[in-house]
Amino acid sequence: MIYLSQMLGNPVYDLDGERIGRVNDLGIATGEVFPRVTSLAVEGPGKTPFMISWRKYVGSFDDEVRLKVVSTDIRFSYLQPNEVLIARDLLNKQIVDTRGMRVVRVNDLKLSDTSSSQLRLLGAEVGVRGILRSLSPAFERASLKIARVFGKSIPERIIAWNYMDLVERDLSNVKLSVSHKTLDELHPADVADIIERLDPRLRGQVFAQLDDEQAADAMAELDDDQMAAEIVGDMEEATASRMLSEMDPDDAAELVSELDYDKAEKLLRLMGVQEQKAIRQLLGYREDTAGRIMTSEFVLVDETGTVDDAITALRGLDENFESVRYVYTKDEEGRLAGAVSLNDLIVHGGQTVLSDIAESELVVASPDDDQEDVAKDIAKYNLLAMPVVDDARKLLGIVTVDDALDVMEEEHEEDLQIAGAASRDGDGSRGGHDLVWLLRNELWFAFWMLGLAALALVAGTNGASDTTLLHALALPVAVIAANDSISYVTNFFLGYDPDDEDAPSLLGFTIKGLGLGLLFSALVLLVAGGIKAALFASGLGAYDPSFHGFASAAVSVMASFLCAPAYLTILRVRDAKNLETSGLALQATAMAVAIVVYAVALACLPGGLGA
Amino acid sequence: MLWSIPLTCLLLVVVQETAARMACVTGKGFASLIREQFGIRISTVAMLAVILSNFSVTVSEFAGIASGLLLFGIPVYVSVPVAALASWLLAMSGSYRHIEKVLLTISAVFVTYVITGVVVGPDWGKALGSTVVPQMSGDPAYISLLVASIGTTISPYMIFMVSSNVAEKNLDEGDILGQRADNVSGALVSQAIAWFIVLTTASVLFPAGVVIQDAADAAQALVPLAGKYSAVLFAAGLVGASFLASCVMPGITAGAVCEAFGWERGTDRSWKEAPAYRGILTAIAILSAALVLLPGANLFGIMMAAQIVNGVLLPVLLVCMVNIASDRHVMGRWANGRIWNALTWFTIVAVVVLTVIMFALQAMGY
Repeated sequence: MIYLSQMLGNPVYDLDGERIGRVNDLGIATGEVFPRVTSLAVEGPGKTPFMISWRKYVGSFDDEVRLKVVSTDIRFSYLQPNEVLIARDLLNKQIVDTRGMRVVRVNDLKLSDTSSSQLRLLGAEVGVRGILRSLSPAFERASLKIARVFGKSIPERIIAWNYMDLVERDLSNVKLSVSHKTLDELHPADVADIIERLDPRLRGQVFAQLDDEQAADAMAELDDDQMAAEIVGDMEEATASRMLSEMDPDDAAELVSELDYDKAEKLLRLMGVQEQKAIRQLLGYREDTAGRIMTSEFVLVDETGTVDDAITALRGLDENFESVRYVYTKDEEGRLAGAVSLNDLIVHGGQTVLSDIAESELVVASPDDDQEDVAKDIAKYNLLAMPVVDDARKLLGIVTVDDALDVMEEEHEEDLQIAGAASRDGDGSRGGHDLVWLLRNELWFAFWMLGLAALALVAGTNGASDTTLLHALALPVAVIAANDSISYVTNFFLGYDPDDEDAPSLLGFTIKGLGLGLLFSALVLLVAGGIKAALFASGLGAYDPSFHGFASAAVSVMASFLCAPAYLTILRVRDAKNLETSGLALQATAMAVAIVVYAVALACLPGGLGA
Repeated sequence: MLWSIPLTCLLLVVVQETAARMACVTGKGFASLIREQFGIRISTVAMLAVILSNFSVTVSEFAGIASGLLLFGIPVYVSVPVAALASWLLAMSGSYRHIEKVLLTISAVFVTYVITGVVVGPDWGKALGSTVVPQMSGDPAYISLLVASIGTTISPYMIFMVSSNVAEKNLDEGDILGQRADNVSGALVSQAIAWFIVLTTASVLFPAGVVIQDAADAAQALVPLAGKYSAVLFAAGLVGASFLASCVMPGITAGAVCEAFGWERGTDRSWKEAPAYRGILTAIAILSAALVLLPGANLFGIMMAAQIVNGVLLPVLLVCMVNIASDRHVMGRWANGRIWNALTWFTIVAVVVLTVIMFALQAMGY
């Protein structure tokens, strides 16, 4: 095995043993799975670089390169368009491993001598071994021995040439071997994943390498809308508008809505009339409604037609037409009459009239319906697509099941955020999240301490410190109750939709909260009073600061539950405006309010701080 | 000391501008560039330098937090673990960006030094004179202070931070002018404040015969303006600035190392996906907090030592930078001009000479 890191810098001698320079780079022919080394780049005297043909001149290449001819017989060659210089274009560069679907940096290149004079590239080393070897081969050997002592091995991680995609060098005009798997052969979702891991500048370059259709698909798969908008913003306008035309109108509309107004207008104007109209129509609907996520690509035929007519219509569709799940039928006035599934079309004979087999009891949505409701209905009725109709029951578009899944995922994430659970990446990274979760749940402790400090500051001038401590004894009751009142609110919020008929009204919620608050404050007062009477009856004088604290806690508990409707309203208003609300912020607010109420109650109740 | 400030300001502009320009032209972070231009060996050296110097800065940030909170009466063994945990969590999730503004506002209290400086009414003529005319002194403390002050201003992390910010925003050649304006104005403001801090401290404390040993002494310079609140003001500013830096620093280091070696990085990658990134980040946070907690640690001393380490390691990275920035293959028509090259080399030589003098003086037993 020969490694490029070991070859670079080796001396080059000609037939007479005269030194003509040192190895600078190797050129490979890109057409093969294990590309042959075709040329040798030499750094001659005075740092002048030149290239010579490997096949014609190189004799042996063990520790030093020996040529077959004397230096005067050498003819220089030039880099061919299908050649890649492996030290310049590959070594130390970022490449995409199209099999492992990762972005990696090449640490070394592994070569193999298939015959005495022929050298082939086996692949790029991207593991730790390559780093160690490049530092020093002795270092690599030492590390391997140490690892062996511990019973571990450090494997090489080689990526073969046919699984490399050179993001920085556009090879699209170079003919690659049939088996070469480049980015544009991956699934668009995988391409999107890889793109998210690249530097911003490279993202643009990768998109430039993809063809319009691939770029459109990958763009639709990008999870981060803002990132997608940035990439589009940096693209050439003609390319960007071509790509938008390729995308499904609903995805394109979502992307356009993220762009700034001028840019969006410009791109839309560059598009074809039909696509432009479709996108503009979608943009006319409010965000997060059925109208926004529907696609206007559907198949609509007369209900008097036959199965054959429908199939002819399907065959005539454009190649990148949204996948068809149902063929919709209309009556003579153009109103939506029914839907025929592909199954029915296949099972029934060609002459069957569509109105006989169409499902006429359709569940439909109006374009202003909330996207979450539409998604829920799609799940409930097991649909693959739901038609969206206007008031006159004319078909405007369809919401497909994949869009519904996206909506569900989005809403689920928002709900999690409010419920205070770990957000964003559900996979992995548990270690940090568990800690965050713990801190979040034990937040009341921090507030208790804060409250204690605040009470001490307020009382600092006229109260003894022992009294303050006794005053604050019941503070956790108030703080934790505030915390619980927020869970009460969020549970209610997540459980019931404001538009739902069977949901309890806000009034009901308020009364129930009031009841809970009363119950718990009464409990606090009774139990604290009972314990005091039973155990500490004689110890304290007329004024008992700790019981006074419990009374304040009871007041604060009441206040917390009284505030619950206010928090619920805040949540609902923000949800309607599509703002994200963090459960943590709500908790913190509630606890701060509880402490303030506690302090005020302490001061105002008879025999308070002033006494 | 005053004379060194306009000079550092100029050097700061040179270094920042070069870093931003490189990122604008190539769209890559500084670590990527080092790796692609110089290969593995040199990038390993450079990365070791970054880790060491950023580690020492992080240590000094925790020391800053500790000594700031000490002014509020909070003991070190409480403040440092809490701050370390908080900054680690914030750095791991990247959510320190939310509170960045708050912390920046808090650290803006250092502007009070400017006001105090004006209120105290020092001898302006003399101040200007000593700004223009350099004085040298053979005092080792003076030299190490000089190395330290250059080390704080032109620090390795700053180069990486500027270039990764620019690359992250994907600015291109067209944005170079805007970046220049940004750099120059930023450098001017920060150095003006530094000038006033030195001036105010000197004109308030020096006549009173106070030698600055810890944060409490430094806070005393604000007494003419803020009276008994001076300590609170100073402490809040110190804690705010230090805490922000301690959140940013481990992330920058881990990001640079992973960028150079091609490992996955970023706050949105899990432990499983980016073990190196998270590992380095965690190690820096824990070790630096532990170092500050070592019994008998002199906090002010740690802060000074960190700056000296920074000053020593800076030339390594600057040499890499000047080589890349003047390479026409990489930079095209935006390559360094002669003046810029000369200034960068001047920075390198100045830092090296100062460092050598400092070590020589210490070796001779001063």
